[in-house]
Amino acid sequence: MNIIESTISFANEILTLTNFKAIYWQKENTIILSDLHLGKAAHFRKNGIAIPTQVSATDLQNLETIIEKYHPCRIIIVGDLIHAGSNSEVENFRIFTQQHNTINFILVKGNHDKHSDHFFKNIGLHEIYPEYRLGNILFVHEPQSKGNTFIICGHIHPGIVLPTPTNKHLKLPCFAVSEQQLILPAFSRFTGSDSKNTPANTCCYAVHQQGIFKIPASGQT
Amino acid sequence: MSDKFIQTDGYKIIIDWFHKQNIQPFNFQTKTWEKYYQAFSGMVVAPTGFGKTFSVFIAVLIDFLNHPDRFKDGLKLLWVTPLRSLAKDLAKAMQTAIDDIGLDWTVEVRNGDTDIKIKQRQNKQMPDILLVTPESLHLLLAQKDTTKTFNALHCIAVDEWHELMGSKRGVMVELAVAFLTSTVNNVKIWGITATIGNLEEAGNVLLASCQKRTQVKASEKKKIEILSVLPDEVELLPWAGHLGSKLVEKVVPVILQSRSSIIFTNTRSQSEAWYQMLLDVYPDFAGQIALHHSSINSDIRTWIEDALSSGKLKAVVATSSLDLGVDFKPVDTVVQIGSSKGVARFMQRAGRSGHSPFETSIIHFVPTHSLELIEVAALKEAVKTQTIENKDPLFLTFDVLVQFLVTIALGAGFLEQQMLAVIRSTFAFKEISDEEWQWCIAFITNGGIIGKNYEEFHKVEKQADGLYKVTKRRIAMLHRMNMGVIVSDAMIRVKFIAGGFIGMVEEYFVSRLKAGEKFILAGRVLEFVRIKEMTAYVKAAKGKAITPSWLGGRLPLSSNLSYFLRQKLAQSVNPAKTDKELLFLQPLIRTQQSVSHIPQEDEFLVENIRTKEGYHLFMYPFEGRLIHEVMAALVAYRISKQYPVSFSMAMNDYGFELFSDSPIDLTLSQLEDILSDDQLIQDVIASINATEMAKRKFRDIAVIAGLVIQNMHGKQKSNKSLQSSSGIIFQVLEDHDAGNLLLRQAYSEVFNQHLEEQRLTAAFKRINNSKIIYKFATAFTPLSFPIKVDSLRQSLSSEDLAARILKLQQSTQTKAKRKK
Repeated sequence: MNIIESTISFANEILTLTNFKAIYWQKENTIILSDLHLGKAAHFRKNGIAIPTQVSATDLQNLETIIEKYHPCRIIIVGDLIHAGSNSEVENFRIFTQQHNTINFILVKGNHDKHSDHFFKNIGLHEIYPEYRLGNILFVHEPQSKGNTFIICGHIHPGIVLPTPTNKHLKLPCFAVSEQQLILPAFSRFTGSDSKNTPANTCCYAVHQQGIFKIPASGQT
Repeated sequence: MSDKFIQTDGYKIIIDWFHKQNIQPFNFQTKTWEKYYQAFSGMVVAPTGFGKTFSVFIAVLIDFLNHPDRFKDGLKLLWVTPLRSLAKDLAKAMQTAIDDIGLDWTVEVRNGDTDIKIKQRQNKQMPDILLVTPESLHLLLAQKDTTKTFNALHCIAVDEWHELMGSKRGVMVELAVAFLTSTVNNVKIWGITATIGNLEEAGNVLLASCQKRTQVKASEKKKIEILSVLPDEVELLPWAGHLGSKLVEKVVPVILQSRSSIIFTNTRSQSEAWYQMLLDVYPDFAGQIALHHSSINSDIRTWIEDALSSGKLKAVVATSSLDLGVDFKPVDTVVQIGSSKGVARFMQRAGRSGHSPFETSIIHFVPTHSLELIEVAALKEAVKTQTIENKDPLFLTFDVLVQFLVTIALGAGFLEQQMLAVIRSTFAFKEISDEEWQWCIAFITNGGIIGKNYEEFHKVEKQADGLYKVTKRRIAMLHRMNMGVIVSDAMIRVKFIAGGFIGMVEEYFVSRLKAGEKFILAGRVLEFVRIKEMTAYVKAAKGKAITPSWLGGRLPLSSNLSYFLRQKLAQSVNPAKTDKELLFLQPLIRTQQSVSHIPQEDEFLVENIRTKEGYHLFMYPFEGRLIHEVMAALVAYRISKQYPVSFSMAMNDYGFELFSDSPIDLTLSQLEDILSDDQLIQDVIASINATEMAKRKFRDIAVIAGLVIQNMHGKQKSNKSLQSSSGIIFQVLEDHDAGNLLLRQAYSEVFNQHLEEQRLTAAFKRINNSKIIYKFATAFTPLSFPIKVDSLRQSLSSEDLAARILKLQQSTQTKAKRKK
């Protein structure tokens, strides 16, 4: 899979959306992503549900590909880094952060991230916040509106349903972009996407292996 | 009967008891008793209402009366029935008989409705006879001391086997029966079934592990009278769904003249609509008629069933929810709205009226479009010749097998080789290969055959002594909660804001509603307010509203019925004097004949029609909607191979349409090529999206095999971190574990059930041996019109995904521009 980019302007900044479900912010040399849900597959296995391990390995490989391409100095994860308990997949992430010790890993905590800050420090995160500001953008986990503040968040795993000519429907994860807010798709492959709770008047950038497709907001003039 | 049997004490006591009540047992009953006495297992075939229960049940009593010394304390007869609602009445009837005869046996029920205290008491001391569903039987097998529970068992009776066979619940019964015959000595297995097409096979499936087996068939037959409700005049262009409302007025007198009636519809939305229409046409029905379908609250349903038994209701509009179950004595009339899609279902529904053995069942057929009258003629023929559908047994359903293995590991535990022998003694798994068995064991012990990848996995553990057991409490709890093979759509409760529960609707339907939109449920107009925690809140409303369209409402037409349909259509050119429906349809038949053709049995009709709209190609295989969907895609694919063209498709049970905006230029010989059975399956695979279909089939498989934890009402929160959709898991397995047997099963279910490979091949063979009649017209013919107005549309396009999305983008953009 090749990285395909689509550049947009948000909060007076130029952001690069990628079909790897992460954003590259060139000016700050930063990668932004959300909802990694590390250890989800292992958590399932622990409870007797047979999900192959390769799923989480693919997630980390994708992150590796992005790092190789952009060489960021900072990675911001806007929440839901860890799905449930600690397990071998979380351990793999610790090894991963060690291999990339020149990058500053920043976590904005999400509803799944119930562990202590100490725990997150141990697996290689350098900074942990409930919310985090960089330039004129505020990074939080859950979508919200805060006056004129520009927000980048995740949490709802936005998706969009596209009708195809055969009267079948195709659901793809997407970036949901409105004037004040940008919602990231879930980075992990082992997650679903929700096409019903995407806020109204958002422009969606549907993500697919073969590209990024812009679907303008309905009713937009 | 042999003298020896007649001389036994048991037989004498029982026959005395029968005579005291002035009843003569039916021949099939006494024959069953004797065969049981001779230590046979077997299958009893008898129509409902003829005392099937008293065949096997009394046989066990006679055995006990003859040899009380052979019986230990504890459970003696295990009675499996597919329906919970049947169990209670059955238990009552058995207990009364036992008390009358003067035995001290107790009969009890155990299923999902049974009180936990009673269950605990049963665990300590089993009754002599226990009535269970397949699910509750498996739950019993998941208990620690199963051997103790079943060590006094003499007989397992499986009631309504025709309902269970061919479904995964049937496979559950096969597995449980095989397991119990292997652990308890000399258990006899008796099945009880209504007539189906493949009785011999039905016996082989259930009794696969029995050495000595027989079949007892009742010679008594249920009489059925079919009356069709004819419209005042024949519409030359019949329009699906249109006619029904006109005929309401004719159904009212039928209801008024009967003591009590059941009006059967095929879908829940149709039942809602008919309930409204009946009230509109005859307002006095208010309070006297009720609505019964599976989305209605079970308390209300129970109330309706009670009111129907006690004769308080004049009529009930129902779906298949009332097909089975207890007898409603006051019901003397059944009305069927629209096609019943199958002979067996039609006879079953007819049998809901006139329940006592020698009464005639009366069923009125209300067509929803004129052409359906041909179906009445076809049904009459099928009933006359007793041509009833087969129930095809399932093979190698690995999802059920892995669930069962975990169940047993939860209970007594199992040894690998012993268990393999048990599994191979069933009909469903007699062909299981060593590799497949290894896969199943790997799946439940380390997650999969590529074992090393599944570290941290523990469902079932192999202990030092080789016994496979579940040891983790949480795993045990999750498994018990999710046992069973009935997978339903996530259902949402519908409640008034002010309080009061109305019923259940599929999540799928509610998720598309916007606040303020109105819909009909349980005969009431409701305004949707909001959804919260699996409950949709509504308030009462008035005015126009939509009827929920429920998924899975479309039943396929059975191949038996389609055979008779073709035969009757052919005969309609020169109908016999007795074929009232065909005589009535003459104006329509003659029109069809003059503008096009009526296909004879050895002919296949293709109509090429050009209208203002565009170009239509109609074909009439009469094989049912599901097969037509596949055929249409295939024909479209084969035409598009000859020249680039894109079609939209429509179909009903009789035929299908391909529609295009460019001319469809086909010669007769090209047409013959397109309909050839050469390379059939390869072309079918190329023309459909098998992966997408398999993904849908995988939904149920994933739940049954325990890969997806089902949404439990009230409990959905506790397992939230384990929620995922089968779609995601399907994708993950396709990418990383392509050899997964559950994936393979999804694909084979697509071929066997959805595509009905055998039937499709047979249909093409028939078409190939027929003379193709190719007609041209410039207006719709009577046969083509109902298909044209039918709504199910899809089209074939060979463009790839990215191009499609691009196209979509462009069209959205042009629309947006226009708005500017």
